[in-house]
Amino acid sequence: MIDKLKKILEDGEQRIAKTMSETELQDVKASLLGKQSVFTEVMKEMPKLDPKMRPEIGKKVNEIKSKFTDLIDKQRLELQLKADKIDESFDTTVPGIAPPSGGLHPITQMCYDLNDAFRSMGFEIFEEDDITSELYAFDKLNFPPNHPARESMDTYWLEGHDTGCACDKLCLRPHLTGGSVRYLQTHKPPYRFVYPGRVYRNESTDARHERAFFQYEALIVDKDFNFASGKILIKSVLSKVFGRDVPVRMRAGFFPFVEPGFEIDMGCLVCGGKGCSVCKQVGWIEIMPGGTPHPNVLRAGGLDPDEYTGFYVNIGLDRLVMMRYGVDDVRLFHSADLRFLEQFN
Amino acid sequence: MKVSLDWIKEYVELPESMDLTKLAYDLTMSTVEVEGTEKLADKFDKIIVGVIKEVLPHPNADKLRICKTDIGNEIKDIVCGGSNLEAGMKVAVACPGAVVKWHGEGEPVEIKNAVLRGVPSFGMICAAVEIGLADLFPANNDHEIVDLSAFDVKAGTPIADALDLNDIILEIDNKSMTNRPDLWGHYGIAREIAALYDLPLKEFPKFDLKDVPALTIDIQDTERCPRYMGTEINGVFVKPAPYKIQQRIWKVGMRPINALVDITNYVMLATGNPTHAFDADNIKDHIVVRCANDGENLLLLNGKELSLSSNDLVIADTESAVGLAGVMGGSKDSILPKTQRVLLEVANFNAQGIRGTALRYDNRTDASSRYEKGIDPERCDQAFALSMQMFKEIYPDMQVVAHSDYYPTKLVQNEIDVSMKWLESRLGKVIAKEDIVKKLSELGFEVSFNEDNMHIVVPTWRSTGDISIKDDIMEEIARMYGYENFEPSPITTTFTGAINQLDIDIERKIKEYLAFRCNMREIFTYPWMDDEYVKAILQNTDNILKISTPPSPDESYIRSSLLPNIVKAVNKNLRYYTEFSIFESAKVFSAESFSTPYDPTEKLPVQSKHIGGAFVGNYKTINDLFRKSKGILENMSRYTHMEKFDFIKSDKPVWSDDVLWLNICVDGEKIGDFALLSKQIALQCGIKNNAVMLFELDIDKLRPFKSRTNTFTHLPEYPMNDFDLSMIIDENISWADIKNTILEVNKDNELLKSVSFVEEYKGKQILKGKKSVTLRLVIGSDTKTLTSAELEKTGFGVAKCLEDKYNALLRR
Repeated sequence: MIDKLKKILEDGEQRIAKTMSETELQDVKASLLGKQSVFTEVMKEMPKLDPKMRPEIGKKVNEIKSKFTDLIDKQRLELQLKADKIDESFDTTVPGIAPPSGGLHPITQMCYDLNDAFRSMGFEIFEEDDITSELYAFDKLNFPPNHPARESMDTYWLEGHDTGCACDKLCLRPHLTGGSVRYLQTHKPPYRFVYPGRVYRNESTDARHERAFFQYEALIVDKDFNFASGKILIKSVLSKVFGRDVPVRMRAGFFPFVEPGFEIDMGCLVCGGKGCSVCKQVGWIEIMPGGTPHPNVLRAGGLDPDEYTGFYVNIGLDRLVMMRYGVDDVRLFHSADLRFLEQFN
Repeated sequence: MKVSLDWIKEYVELPESMDLTKLAYDLTMSTVEVEGTEKLADKFDKIIVGVIKEVLPHPNADKLRICKTDIGNEIKDIVCGGSNLEAGMKVAVACPGAVVKWHGEGEPVEIKNAVLRGVPSFGMICAAVEIGLADLFPANNDHEIVDLSAFDVKAGTPIADALDLNDIILEIDNKSMTNRPDLWGHYGIAREIAALYDLPLKEFPKFDLKDVPALTIDIQDTERCPRYMGTEINGVFVKPAPYKIQQRIWKVGMRPINALVDITNYVMLATGNPTHAFDADNIKDHIVVRCANDGENLLLLNGKELSLSSNDLVIADTESAVGLAGVMGGSKDSILPKTQRVLLEVANFNAQGIRGTALRYDNRTDASSRYEKGIDPERCDQAFALSMQMFKEIYPDMQVVAHSDYYPTKLVQNEIDVSMKWLESRLGKVIAKEDIVKKLSELGFEVSFNEDNMHIVVPTWRSTGDISIKDDIMEEIARMYGYENFEPSPITTTFTGAINQLDIDIERKIKEYLAFRCNMREIFTYPWMDDEYVKAILQNTDNILKISTPPSPDESYIRSSLLPNIVKAVNKNLRYYTEFSIFESAKVFSAESFSTPYDPTEKLPVQSKHIGGAFVGNYKTINDLFRKSKGILENMSRYTHMEKFDFIKSDKPVWSDDVLWLNICVDGEKIGDFALLSKQIALQCGIKNNAVMLFELDIDKLRPFKSRTNTFTHLPEYPMNDFDLSMIIDENISWADIKNTILEVNKDNELLKSVSFVEEYKGKQILKGKKSVTLRLVIGSDTKTLTSAELEKTGFGVAKCLEDKYNALLRR
């Protein structure tokens, strides 16, 4: 009997070890431990045994069964591991599969970056119509009646909308600033807002000049504000765009709608201010106009310029994007060319 | 504008230690943009004065000579082909290393020791044109070298020293001083520099004429000609101006002509006030300043023949126009070699008129670009005084025979009151009164105080529009104090509530949804449309606005829809891509209705923001293309949190396929279209093989939720089972019908949780006129685990209802 059990154990061990799959192992398990198992015969013979031997045999059977259970569990684990074992030759240098490509226009990206920065400082975002009237494009901005920008060489006037009154002489907006007056008229001071949008100039185009381009205007109007604080606006924009602190200088500049007016330069990032061909050897690059809104502009917006003052900057987004990425032709922005746009994921 | 530092020094004494880079920087920061500085002497490096000692024939060439030339401390042999070589002549020698332009043409070349026809030559004896001096030393023929014998200098002297060209030229950006008429002459710039560095400015010379008979002048338009000084001078003749005058005007970019013309140019460059000299013998009777007659002809000095309009101001005699006022003289009365009497004009003209005339004839000149900035009439005094001084110097025998100064209305100087409290608040800084007075006085302002109030009288030269309000005074003080000396103070804010701009944010959400979730690519196109695409896609051009001066003749319409430009962009990208999807959001315009949202007098066309896009694929997989693109639109409202879209068929877009089109609605209102571009129109646009699904919707009509509106459902406690059915059904029974029927018939069956579309198939195994539709049911109970019999009862029950209603057949 002992020998028989020994044989059962040996056989069982071998059969378990030989299994190649979990189903096979399941079959082996049934024949070793199931209702009709290798022990069935042993159990049948039990009554015939010397009663003194029975506990020992019974104990032995249980030992074997328990051993089988362990072995089967172990074998199962091994089979599972083996089944999903990764081939040694697996090449991990094969490139991944790129997710389908989609994305925002690089100008939109820049605009959203700036929106986020200004929103975080409590600025509203303002948007306005592209078609405006001479009244808002020029008159309300303190443009003298004979300012060259009013002539058709610079502005896209609409056909059949010129009755002699500036109020219904229509054009594609040549700049955003007129729209800012609309904001002043319809909101209550103090003002903090940014105004992104596209503007249009009737010019011949080349790699640096476009007929449609994007501006981003930021305006603060408040009591007790001094122009030097405008630098904070400028620095906010530039550090957002270039990811670091950029040297900035404000120098004398003239624009009809600001007083005082500034040309705002940033330190040339190419040469670090030493002078190079990009900055025409001066170490500075002119990036935006700015200044305190002219009293006439504040008046047009319904404010008392003795009470209110502020600061305004107007940034050319195309130019900033060009500088950010090294784009050398402004016309690419309106090309709708996917080969270009796909580079800005 | 070019500014000579040497000339500036005549009006303000600059310290020897003045750092040129700093001067350019300070001017740029406070006044005008200095675009560059040029050391004139650099151009003449290694070019010196040589004295020819002996001219010998060249053994191997008839036209060449060997010049024994003293170059300072030694005599060198220089081979030269000049036609005017003579012993004793002073010449310009370009030593090895100098850079010259060979015969004045082509690229500059560096001079080296050379052997010419077998004879070694040290450098080169130059013609004026070769060293850029042709304007100062015009040659009579191509072979003439420049003769410097008139200059009292020693051999070996650098040319720049010898010719008094050791100067520094500042290049100033004209655009940066359009608002500063006072800076368009050297004296004005000198005044700024003097104020910047607190240096004394020399007074401009004055001149008094005594006991001269009046000159008849007839000014017919006082408004456009506020002042006219006419002076008739006898005893003059045409000759070259003294070298000092020639080199000065030449250094700042003007060509010396003759003494009479050079005087007028010199005066303009010094004072900023243009002047003009007429040949008095050719003036019939007297000068008349009047508006031109329509169609009146005038031949200008530069040979241009103009047909004038009544908007042009002319200088005329009693017979005809002789010059375009403030722009350019006419050929009739210009200075000619025989001129013996001149009529000197020192005048002031109204800026607007001059600008209009110069632009009308595309004839902007040094004079017109100064007048159009708005020069003050008082400056005529300076220009006249300097002119007289120069005439006296150059023509000691000249006589002023007649003179008149027509100046009926004296310029009123602006007076401005500035409160010191206001000033300090705007500057964010207290600047000592004495410092303010000092700087403003240096700039010509008269300043007085009455307690907190500062009273300012603006100098005449800044009273023509430049300075009129207290903000202008603040700017003057700030720029003179130095913008860099003001430190920004933190910007304070008041919290009144969070910024909540649903209308602004919805556009961004949609764009980000399309770009990042739906993998579409954002494009920008111009607002004007190509006629070809307008004709193909929009067809009707009523109510489309037009640009009066379009970028090109076939791009005059501005968009009433995004689609023409999107289709054009599709076509363009088809050269490189076959499957892609793009979108654009922008304003569209229509003349259909107008509104007055701001100023009551204003009338603006209603402009709405649209978003449109294209999905490009091919006709073979049109089902996929349709479902993918429809899925993007269907899910947009959920993902961007706004009111749901419905798709209905009510109004077929003109550009769409006959079958594959839908309108997009929100709450019953049509907000856009979604359809396949018709094959015929695609071909018309040049798109041959690709299927283009287009959509466009009006963002302004979308209704964003104020907050998220997702709802939570409990997770099922008992298993939910997928149960797929494939039904063969008439091909004209729509999925919407099938789904509605199932839901309607089973509306009381709580076990049927959902019905969804899996696929549709038409083909070989299916009878013509039929289709196979596979749908998926989700069946389950909220209270127990279903038995397979219960599951099938509901599942096949659904099949049964379709069999009953549509005669459908379940595929087994």
